[in-house]
Amino acid sequence: MKLEMRRALARESFEEKIRKVEQLIRLAKTFPRSKDKTRLKKQESDLAHGIRTLD
Amino acid sequence: MATPGSFSTIPLADVLRAANDLVSARLIEDYALGGALAAIYYVEPFTTYDADIFFIPADKGLTAGVPAIYKHLQTLGWQAQGEHLLLKGFPVQFLAAQGLTEEAVREARRIDYKGVAAKVFRAEYIVAIAASVGRLKDLARIEQMLQQADLDKTLLEKILRAHNLKLPKL
Repeated sequence: MKLEMRRALARESFEEKIRKVEQLIRLAKTFPRSKDKTRLKKQESDLAHGIRTLD
Repeated sequence: MATPGSFSTIPLADVLRAANDLVSARLIEDYALGGALAAIYYVEPFTTYDADIFFIPADKGLTAGVPAIYKHLQTLGWQAQGEHLLLKGFPVQFLAAQGLTEEAVREARRIDYKGVAAKVFRAEYIVAIAASVGRLKDLARIEQMLQQADLDKTLLEKILRAHNLKLPKL
C-alpha cells in the first residue's frame, strides 16, 4: 500500500480505526496464515536440508 | 502476546470505563492506553489482539495493587487468563508504570472515546518506549510512527535525551 494511502488511513477517527482493526481480526480468523506459513517454511527448510544431505 | 481469541469486537469503551472506575475506587492513581492500540490512535489500523493499560499504582508496595485490581475487575465479570484479564473475551493487560512509562501516563493525551473520557500515550512517548524496548516489532512501530504520525520532534528529542535513549537506524 502506498504511503499516501497509509497516511490517509492514519488520519481517520480513532473509532473508525478500531472498527477496521476489528475487521482485520475477523479476516485473520477467517483466513489464518501465520501457522501455515511457519509450517510451510519448516517443510521447505526440511526439504532443502534433505536435498543437501543427499548430495 | 495474545492470539486471536473468542472476541469479535474490541470493547474499548468498556475497558476505558473500567479503568476510570479503578481510579474512582482509588485502586490506581492514574492510567493511560499504551501499546498497539495507542499507536493505532496515530497511525493506520493494524491487527492487534489485546489492550495495554499502563497504570500508576496507588499501592506503592511490591504487588503494585495488582491483586486488588484483579479482584475488583473480576467482581465486574472480567475473567483472569494468564497475564491478561478478559473482558467479553478481549484480553487486557494492566501494567504498572514506572520510569519512562510512568512519565508517559502523566503526560498522556486526554481523549474522548465513544463518550468515555480517557488518556492515551502521546506519540512521542510511544516512539521513546519502543526505542527503549527495541524488539523487531518496536523498530517497525518506530518506522510507522515516524512516517505517519505528526510528531513533535523537539519533545521527542527531549524525552530521548532525558532517558538516555537513541532512535535506532532504520
